[in-house]
Amino acid sequence: MVSRLGKVLVFALLLAGFVFPVGAQDDMMAMDWESVDPSGQTVVFWHQHSGAREEELAKIVADFNASNEWGITVEAINQGSYDDIYNRMTVSLSTGEALPNLVVAYANQSAVYYLLDGLVDINGLIDSEMWGLSEEEVADFFPGFYEGDVFPQYDGVRLGFPPNRSMEVMYYNIDWLAELRAAGAISFDGPPTTPEQFEEAACAATANPFSGATSDTGAIGYQLSYDGSRFASWTFARGGDIFDLEANQYTLNSPEAVEAMTFLKGLYDKGCAGEIFERFEDQTNFGNGVTMFTVGSSSGLPFYETAVSEGAGHTFSLAAIPHTTENPVQNIYGASVSIPRTTPEAELAAWLFVKYYTTAEVQAEWGLASNYFPVRASSAEALAEYIESYPAYKAAFDLLPYTKAEPPVPGYDPVREETARVMPLIFTGSDTRPVQEILDELNEFANAELEAASSF
Amino acid sequence: MTVTEQHAATSASSSAHSRRWLSFLKHQRTTENITGWLFVAPSVILIFIFGIFPIGYAAYMSIHTWRIRQGAILCDSEPVDFIALVRSCLSNYESAVLGDWGGAALFALGLVGLFVAYIVWTRLFSKRHENVYAVLRIVAGLLVMAVGITLISEGYNTMTGALRPRDQAFLKGLQITIYYAFGSIPLQLALGLVLAYVLYHRVKAKAFFRTIFFLPYVTPTVAAAVVFGTVFSGRDTSPMNQLVQLFGGDVQRWLAEPRPFLNVAFGWNLEGFIAGPSMALVVVIILGIWTYTGYNAVIFMAGLGNIPGDLYEAARVDGATDWNIFRHITLPLLSPVTFYLSVLGFIGTFTAFNTLFVMRTPTNAGTLDTSALVIFDTFRAQNRWAEATAQAIVLMLLVLAMTQIQRSLLEKRVFYG
Repeated sequence: MVSRLGKVLVFALLLAGFVFPVGAQDDMMAMDWESVDPSGQTVVFWHQHSGAREEELAKIVADFNASNEWGITVEAINQGSYDDIYNRMTVSLSTGEALPNLVVAYANQSAVYYLLDGLVDINGLIDSEMWGLSEEEVADFFPGFYEGDVFPQYDGVRLGFPPNRSMEVMYYNIDWLAELRAAGAISFDGPPTTPEQFEEAACAATANPFSGATSDTGAIGYQLSYDGSRFASWTFARGGDIFDLEANQYTLNSPEAVEAMTFLKGLYDKGCAGEIFERFEDQTNFGNGVTMFTVGSSSGLPFYETAVSEGAGHTFSLAAIPHTTENPVQNIYGASVSIPRTTPEAELAAWLFVKYYTTAEVQAEWGLASNYFPVRASSAEALAEYIESYPAYKAAFDLLPYTKAEPPVPGYDPVREETARVMPLIFTGSDTRPVQEILDELNEFANAELEAASSF
Repeated sequence: MTVTEQHAATSASSSAHSRRWLSFLKHQRTTENITGWLFVAPSVILIFIFGIFPIGYAAYMSIHTWRIRQGAILCDSEPVDFIALVRSCLSNYESAVLGDWGGAALFALGLVGLFVAYIVWTRLFSKRHENVYAVLRIVAGLLVMAVGITLISEGYNTMTGALRPRDQAFLKGLQITIYYAFGSIPLQLALGLVLAYVLYHRVKAKAFFRTIFFLPYVTPTVAAAVVFGTVFSGRDTSPMNQLVQLFGGDVQRWLAEPRPFLNVAFGWNLEGFIAGPSMALVVVIILGIWTYTGYNAVIFMAGLGNIPGDLYEAARVDGATDWNIFRHITLPLLSPVTFYLSVLGFIGTFTAFNTLFVMRTPTNAGTLDTSALVIFDTFRAQNRWAEATAQAIVLMLLVLAMTQIQRSLLEKRVFYG
């Protein structure tokens, strides 16, 4: 009798183990969200925001908790850095520990979660008549931001939703440029828009230090920082890409990438560009009027303001990365929020908070407090006064129609790290091989990494 | 009762007594055993949970496909023979760590060759004192050593060549680890010994200086690394570059320099293992020496305190010079301390992480990535958990082997007084 009962139990367990997950996955794919009731759910939200951003997020969460009609409670918890969150998520997915209901994730990280069967395809929620977004609402999102979380390589699933973005921009010293123009050291007005103008200005700045510099360190046109995003930005600006989504392969050795790296190496060889040896060295030097150009995230604007106000006090602004294309091609980045697979009720509740978080009004508040770009065009109306009064922010905001993102593929982090390592070898001449050969090797590494990271 | 009966009764009583006594002893031994086990149980449990179990679990992970989630076991279910079964189980070791078993065998054979060279050097014709035998011994030792080094080099090249480029990091990391260990430990020990000797014999206020020398060791590693990063920054205005320029030298990239130190300093264009550590790694070695020299000095001073003073007095009476005393009394009697510190040093450098992690940047282009850092990257950035555990186990075996080799080579020379 016991034996028979044991057999029945084992069979039931096997059935639950083998059949239920498949059934659950099918259920999720064809989820009827209209019949799900999110009332009374608690949404645990893992994020990385700290300081003023965390305070503003807490305010947004409190407003949502107080006003939502379903009695949903969001608990926003800082879980450390992006890396910390990723590590916690992978461990939770590996061990079966409780997942959060909402998590901040870069596209390449959400791809990993998806491959581990840990994320909800948000398309179903967006398309829901009862809970989703109208066509007008969808059209209000900046296209580049909105499409960034859709994964063509996984049949178009949407694994995240953007609450904010920032952009890779060029910071430049307006006063110094004016001095160079007045002295006839450069032949154009305004910030450089082409690589040739950039080189002209960078070399002129190196030869003609800024009169208002507050440091006796030698002047330098541009300080190169070694980072996968810099590599991508300079490649994008030449009309190239670092990834071919159709072929699902990296193209880090494309002609445009080789041209971009060769161009930067040329600047270095001529002494018009230099390295960054310490954290934020370029930002500090820019503030002191020692460095004419730097390239970095638009969300760093407040930090640049501080550096300049504590340094040379010059006027400065942001502009597009000098490009060879007709229009600028700007690298946008930033983490989205993803909805881990928990229960349909909690998943829907998490989506309702995301929907609130990305409304035009909340986005305007969030943009003001965080210095990120809002993701909806109509937020610009609410921010109009702010944008007009803040030329640097406006300059970056005006570039939003010209954006492109880095590849949303699993295993991108080690590729970024390897790219950052290869850059100094090229620029300093430590690796004497032709740029093409070095990038061919990098691309081979990246594709091997992609292949390994694409299955679990 | 007859005498016989009395004798039988006495004998029976004695036998019963013996049995009771044996039973008592057995019981007592059991009780003692249980008490002993109870005393050591907390330690045994802790060692098992935090020491043995993780190692065992890592070994278990290393024979699976395991990227975040556990996959299938790698062992072939229908192996041709036992060797095939073992190879299939260890395929993570082959494909991601060692590259080629033949190469690994050559490498190991080379290590054995070096050991044989040492034996030849120290033992061949050891009882014959003629010069011709000394020359023979040296020549034979050098020959075997050359064979050993050639095998190591061939083995290393074969292993690396069999690996995909993305999998070569661990072996390269091993090379960097060896530079780090052999670059820092001998100097740490030598400087520590000199400091301790001078302090112990020549300086007053020993306690004060002991504290001063110990400070680098208790300074938080990360803070020290950040300060060294600033001092050895590649900026023209960094403290080290200012110092170099003061003496008419050229500005150096220091921590940002991935080129070999010998190339930067002397212009030598050496290839492969003999190219030596990068300039960046030399800076980290300097930090290591700064951190541990004082610690070693303090331990050496404690060792010096244990050497009986009458030995020194007797030596002086016999007319021994300071050097003779140091060479024939101090050094031999400090050998247990030296052995202890060198073993700890090798274990520490082979598993070093924090300093290197803080000081590595894209500019030093991976030349600070020791095996421990490579394992971390394999685990964290690449999520290749099975390969990371295979690497960790290989590193653990290497550390064990290094410790054993040190014991074999040095322990016989250790003089415990």
